[in-house]
Amino acid sequence: MTNDELLLRLAQTLKKVIGPAVSAEYPKTQAFMAAVVLEKVGRELAAARSHAAANAAAVAALVAALGRDTGGVPLAVASAIAAVGAKGDDAALSQLVAAMYSARAELGADRFNAMLGRIRLTLRAGIDRRMEYAA
Amino acid sequence: MNAATDLVPRMQAYVASRLPEARELRLDNVQRIAVGWSHETWLFDAVWREAGEQHTRGMCLRRDPGNAMLRHVSSLEEQFRVLECLARTALPTPTPYWFESDPAILDAPFLVMEKVSGTCPNPWGRDGRAYYAAAAERGVLPASFTATLATLHTLDWRAAGFEFLGVPGAGTDFVRREIAKWKHLIDVSDNPPEPILTDLIGWLEANAPSTAHITLVHGAYRTGNMLIEDDRIAAVLDWELQVLGDPMYDVAYVLSDLNREGTALLSNLVDRDAFFRDYEAQTGFTIDEKVCRYYNALYAMRSVAFWMSASGLYADGRSNDIRLARTRWSVPVVLDRAARELGY
Repeated sequence: MTNDELLLRLAQTLKKVIGPAVSAEYPKTQAFMAAVVLEKVGRELAAARSHAAANAAAVAALVAALGRDTGGVPLAVASAIAAVGAKGDDAALSQLVAAMYSARAELGADRFNAMLGRIRLTLRAGIDRRMEYAA
Repeated sequence: MNAATDLVPRMQAYVASRLPEARELRLDNVQRIAVGWSHETWLFDAVWREAGEQHTRGMCLRRDPGNAMLRHVSSLEEQFRVLECLARTALPTPTPYWFESDPAILDAPFLVMEKVSGTCPNPWGRDGRAYYAAAAERGVLPASFTATLATLHTLDWRAAGFEFLGVPGAGTDFVRREIAKWKHLIDVSDNPPEPILTDLIGWLEANAPSTAHITLVHGAYRTGNMLIEDDRIAAVLDWELQVLGDPMYDVAYVLSDLNREGTALLSNLVDRDAFFRDYEAQTGFTIDEKVCRYYNALYAMRSVAFWMSASGLYADGRSNDIRLARTRWSVPVVLDRAARELGY
């Protein structure tokens, strides 16, 4: 049994055995809520490896797309794109988005919208993956 | 005796100290209501003899143990001041009795206010939805819901003394204050960076609307935050998010899909066309749906701030309520909604 399977099994025990045996309202609710939390952790754990690989591929594709035309891109934005390429995490993506908004006037509306639109494709795919276990 | 039951005799001693003419004072029907994740709430009836006659007064005590979800943006002292100001207006609200900041009395700051008679059906449960559906058919409560919001938005907030909440300047100042408030809650919650949230905040800052009117705004005006008696709003509760600002902020909350489940009725109760017609007639304001859509996006930011704060309370050991741990997965759910609000 893998760790994620164990968590899901524990969640079932809480939901079907322990929760129903508790008569007081508050601890009963807590038992069921603990089952919900364990289920979510279990699903997140089960998906972790494939999601990490998909996220890495999506970020690499984003950096490649944004890197095709960096002429005239403000230095702060170019640096933020490079940081996404180097780190590939949410912190770097957040800094890139923040840099985009800060440089909005310099970029001009068309370029801002095009670049942000491409970033949003990556963000959409990422949140869709998280929703597999969060919803 | 646990900490909770230990409080009851101390609450009784406190109430007795505030009613020096009272004799044989006792607290009956004491209950701690376990709703929400805000301040502790206790209901009881104070019963005493005075000048040979028996008196009974229903009271509600709210205590702040320091681990409430909105502890960084709301205090009981401010709630008490708000209730004092509201007591000078026509809005139905509980009468405030006393506020104490001294932790020596009940280990934490607390306020005592009137226990208003009425019910507060939970709009998220099956029974609550059935209750509001039946009330919608009768038509009296929906009209009261809208009329009470109109009363709130047309009261003279300067005369009532609400300036202490902070009067926003002209233009986009109100919106910028709200963004700053929720950004602060997000920052102190110390969560990992969320790029969609960064996008949302950037969009909100870049598209902030100007505020045409400044009124008192409740901040969470919906069924579930009000007491109902005889099919009318008996009291508007939950004064934790109020602000001086754009009345459309409340209107957007009423119009939001968030506050109704499986029904076209606003807040599970009010027909949309009737709400528009009655609200506009009673306030003189025109509902600006574009601005309301903006506020929906701002509410998404606020929800992220709530859930980050809530999950942090469990993570850092300040609360053992597992419902708070569950909210960690509410963050991506709201971010998903926020992305859709932004068009992706």
